[in-house]
Parts: sequence; C-alpha cells; structure tokens
Amino acid sequence: MRKTNYFHLLMIIPATVVLLLTLFYPIVNTIIISFFDKKLFYPSFSTFVGLSNYKEILSNEEFWSAFKITIYFTIVSVFLEFVIGLFTAILLNQNFKLRGFLRTLVILPWAIPTVVNGVLWQWIFDSNYGSLNGLLYQLGLIHNYVNWLGKPFMALNMVIIADVWKNCWFFTIVLLGALQTIPKNYYDAAKVDGAGFWNRLFNVTLPLLRPAIVVSLVLRTSEAFKVFDIIYIMTKGGPANGTQVLSYYVYHTSFEAMQLGKGAALSTIIAIIILLIALVYIKSLMREEVEINA
Amino acid sequence: MKKVLILLFIITSLMIFSTTTIRVISSDDFAAFRQEAIKRFEELYPDIKVELLSVGYNQLYQKIITTLAVDPSAFDVIDVDCIWTPEFATLGLLEPVDNRLTEDMKNNILESAMNIMRYNGKTYGLPMFNDVLFFYYNEDLLKKAGIRRPPATWDEFVAFSKILQDKGLVKYGSVWGWAQAEGLICYYTLLLGSFGGQYFDENENPVFNTGGGLKALEWMVDSIYNYKVVDPSSINSDDRAMLHAIANGDAAFGFNWSFAWQIFNDPDQSSQVDKIKVALVPTGVPGIVSNTSSGSMGLAITKGSKNKEAAWKFISFLASREEQRRQSIEYGAMPIWEDLYNDKEILTHHPEFSEMVNQLYYVTDRPSLVKYQEFSRILQIYIQKALTRQMTPKEALDKAAEEVNKLLGK
Repeated sequence: MRKTNYFHLLMIIPATVVLLLTLFYPIVNTIIISFFDKKLFYPSFSTFVGLSNYKEILSNEEFWSAFKITIYFTIVSVFLEFVIGLFTAILLNQNFKLRGFLRTLVILPWAIPTVVNGVLWQWIFDSNYGSLNGLLYQLGLIHNYVNWLGKPFMALNMVIIADVWKNCWFFTIVLLGALQTIPKNYYDAAKVDGAGFWNRLFNVTLPLLRPAIVVSLVLRTSEAFKVFDIIYIMTKGGPANGTQVLSYYVYHTSFEAMQLGKGAALSTIIAIIILLIALVYIKSLMREEVEINA
Repeated sequence: MKKVLILLFIITSLMIFSTTTIRVISSDDFAAFRQEAIKRFEELYPDIKVELLSVGYNQLYQKIITTLAVDPSAFDVIDVDCIWTPEFATLGLLEPVDNRLTEDMKNNILESAMNIMRYNGKTYGLPMFNDVLFFYYNEDLLKKAGIRRPPATWDEFVAFSKILQDKGLVKYGSVWGWAQAEGLICYYTLLLGSFGGQYFDENENPVFNTGGGLKALEWMVDSIYNYKVVDPSSINSDDRAMLHAIANGDAAFGFNWSFAWQIFNDPDQSSQVDKIKVALVPTGVPGIVSNTSSGSMGLAITKGSKNKEAAWKFISFLASREEQRRQSIEYGAMPIWEDLYNDKEILTHHPEFSEMVNQLYYVTDRPSLVKYQEFSRILQIYIQKALTRQMTPKEALDKAAEEVNKLLGK
C-alpha cells in the first residue's frame, strides 16, 4: 500500500491563507456590508436593509452622471491609448538607428507614478502659469489663456489626455512584445501577393496580435473603469461634478459621507460591470484558432 | 557591581516609562509655528513628548474621522474646525473641558472665539486663533493705477479691477478659491452676508435661494462672465492655490485667512513682500458696512485619549498668552485673548493688525448643523453648476434648497 503524502497540501497552505485573507474576505465582506445600512461612526447602527442600498443608488441622479462620465472616460481613453500604442509598437518594430534607446524611452511615462503624472499635467494645464497656454499663445493659436480645467466637459477631456499620455505606452510594450513573435516571412509572403501596409495590418498583424490585444484591452479597460488617482489629483471630481467618475463617487460615499453600506453596494455594482466588460471582450475577441486570410 | 547595574536598569526604565507621548493631528496652516511651540513645550514639560501630524485642511476631517473610527485613542488632541464641533460632539469624539477651564480663560478669552468650541452648553476645547477671511489688496498696484484707497463696495471692487486691468497692471483684478471644496462655502458666506442674505430663517427653513444669498451667487457668476474681473481659474482653484496669483502680483485683490499674511511677506514664496495690505471686505448693500466668514479652529481632547492630563497641558500651553503673542507676531494669527488686542508689541510688529481687528466685528458664521458636511457638499455642487453656467443662479440655489430640505427631513 502506498503511503499518502500530504506534504504538497502543506506547501499550498501559506498561499491559500494569504489569498483568503487578502482577496476572498474583503470581497465577501463588501458584498455583505452592501445589504446593511452601516455608518462608520455608529457601529451599533448596522441594520439589515436588503436591496434598498442598491435601489437608492440606481435611482440616484449622481450615480448615473458618474456612470456616464466613467463610460466616456473609459471608451475614449482606452481607444486612444490602443491606437497610439499599436502604431508606436509597429514603428518601434522596424529596423532603425536608436531603436533601443526609443524603446527604453517609451517606458518612462508609463513608469511615472500616477500622482506625479497628475500633478505634472495639472501644472501644464494651469490657466495662468501652464505651459500649454504658453505654447498655444506664442504660436498664435489662442489669443486668451484658456482655463483648461474650469469647464466640466473640457476638464474631463483634459484628464483623458493626461491619462492617455501615461498609459498608451502600456499597449506599446505589450504589443511590441507580441509583434516580435510574428515571423517575418508572413509579411514577405503578403508583400509578394501585393498587400499594402493597411492590408498587411488588417490581415496579418492584427489577427496574429489578437491574444495580446485581448489581454491588454481587458486590463486597460478595467483599469480605466476604476480610474481614481488621476481624478483625485487633478480635479477632485470638479468642476460641478463634471469629472466625478464612479470610483471617486464610491470614495466620497464611503470615506467622506461615511456611508459604508452604500459605498459597498456601489463597489459591488462596479465589480459586476467590470466582470461583464471582461466577458464581452473575451467572448468576442478570443477564438480558439487564428486564421490568416492572406 | 551587579546590584548597581540592576538599579541603573530600573532607573532608566522608569525614566522611559514615565514619559508620556501625546499624538496631535492638526491642519498645516500654522504647522511651522506649532513645530516650534512643541520644542518649547517639551522643554517646559520634559516628561511629555508630542508627536505632531500635520495634514492639509482638505484631508483633515476625513483623516480624523476614519482614524478615530478604527482606534479611538489614536489621537489625544485633534484640530477641530468650527463647523465640525456639532458633529464631533454628537458622535462622542470629544472630551468636554468645562471643569478644566480656569477663571482667566472663562473671563478673558473672546466670547466669539470660545463659541466655536461650544455645543449644547458644553465646551469641547480651546480655540487656537480667531480667524476670518480678510480682504488683502496690493497697495503698490493700486498706487500705480492712481487709485488712492481700497474699494469699499462691490461696485467699486469691479470698477477698480477694470481700471487695473485696462492699465495692463494685472490680467484679472482678483482671484478666488471657488473650487468644489469647503473654501467655496466660506467665500459664498462672505458674499451672502455682505448682500444682506441669510442661510436659514427663524423656522430653520433654507432661504439662501432668495435675497442676499441669490444676489451673492449672481454677483459671482457676473464677475467672471459679464464684468470679467475675476480670474476664471477661480472655479478650479481652492483657497490655497489662489494664493500664488496674489503673491506674484498677478492679481490685486484676494480674500484669505490670516495665515496668508505670512506667505505674502515671505520672500521665498512671494514677490510682493510689504506691498499687500488689509482692508474691510467690501459691501453689497447700503446699511451693511462689511461682512466676512469665520473660520477659526481649535484643539480638543479626544474621548478615547489615555493621556488627557498631558493633552490638556499641551492645549492650554498653545492657548497661553505668551504663545498666542508669538503666533501673532511671527505668523500673523489673530489671538484669542481680548487683552492682546491692545498689546503694543504685537501692534508694532504687525501694523496690519489694527485693520484686521476691525473685520472681526463683521462676521457671518456658516450654519451650525450636525449634518454640516452633507449640507456643504450639496451647496458646493450647485454653486459650481451656476459658476460653470450649467444652471442659472436661481435654478441652482432653488435645487440646492430643495435638497437641503430633504437632508434635514423637512
């Protein structure tokens, strides 16, 4: 009879405990709190309210405004980041002098902490002392300094620019890595068949990049959907709640208004939305096999 | 030999354990002064150590609430803004200090200063300065424009701003801190009172959407878009960020707290040293001389503190006449002691003082509400909606009043 060896089970206990404590417990606890009316300072005042937190949130104007702003932020910033990232990746995949230097350079903005990036762009957009106004004014493109962060919709777009500048390089790095695995003879064959740049892009490059694209899009979309730090640094959700995204709204509800139950319900809603987005991506972009239509 | 060592060990451990450490959290407005004062305090009481945590005003409320919710003894002394006293007292965060007050404190600290620490008949700490929004103007720029005195009414304020702008001395006459933050409510309160408005009527119904309250917001919107005398960046600057423009001489007028005086006169932070003076805040209607908003803060002992005696020693040390005098002379704060307002030493070191004292007679307080934070946020958002012209001032304030009614359960 073979002696059962439980040593392998022993070895996974530390990892299991860490995962249970850091992932499972907070998530389950958040979901539980979301069914309670819980305020930070009244521990005794924790009453079960069922779905009323959810009902209240879904009928709240401020939630839907934050929802729309988040969707806009996510779509525009991820789209721009993807397009810029893809083309810089293709560019950096060509053979030219200084390629190594430029490849290193593109990592820099991505490596800057978001807080630093936020402060940086806040000063660039500053209406009196900012370099953007200085540049445009000296080029004669504007005749009066523009208050970039002073109008709700414009401020939102300005924050998107700051976010794109930092995060498009994530796509560059991931896609560049994937591009290097595409055998050069596919392109040679396509060229022989008379395929131009766009033809090669859509029929060779993109299908072969699909797995890398899916992964990077899912990651960036869920990150963009949860955006918080750059908003907190640059606009604090203002002016007039024009840049208040969902995460900022959660932060306000939980830690400024101290309504933990409502904040937990909001977090749960956001988590569900992000899960749905990921599912849609994976369904529509992941296919078992990649065909090349040459 | 062994005995001596043991004895030494016991003595040193006694010395270590007999030092009490008190933890203090305070706003960074007077952080430099408090750091210096702590050194003097520790010399006076070698058995008490003070750990000071300074955070920006806009983070202070949240930091206090979240920390004390987790550990009620995390701080021994907390910095309390006048608008937080009702809420903190109701939540049971503060230790009443009525029986610790000396006769001298009861009789000689200004009543208006003491009131910020009172709620429902109890006193919860000592005020640290007597602060209001002051009207700062750049005398040098006014002289260059041929203007002999600061504006006394809002009409003059607009007219003088236009003169300064037309002569190319400044791009905008004034800059404010109207960003979505508590400072916005202070500025709105200043204007509301100067146009003769009120937040609530005697039955506690909101009335800021009529009369002076409405005129105040209309003036704010007009000053940006019609008169064009207020820098539009005021919409997204808070009451700290706006200081740069004044300290650089890019705007001639600004409203700020007393700590700003020291920044304007610090050569490292300002190019306008000695040029910035103080005058009464202009008025909007005849019959009202001036009006401003109060923003005093005080230190209180937390209910969870395990070192209440030491905490009280520290608070009363900072509130003492000697420290208050230093705080005035070196940092421009208004003292809490009535008699210090005639102090020759203060007046010679700080000539603006005599002007600043006058402003203390014309003050409107922000409403005293347990749900003040939520009230303030509603108002901030709707004022901002008017400032960014998504709503007219009337629409915005009507909507705000409606939500305030809902909040207060009416």
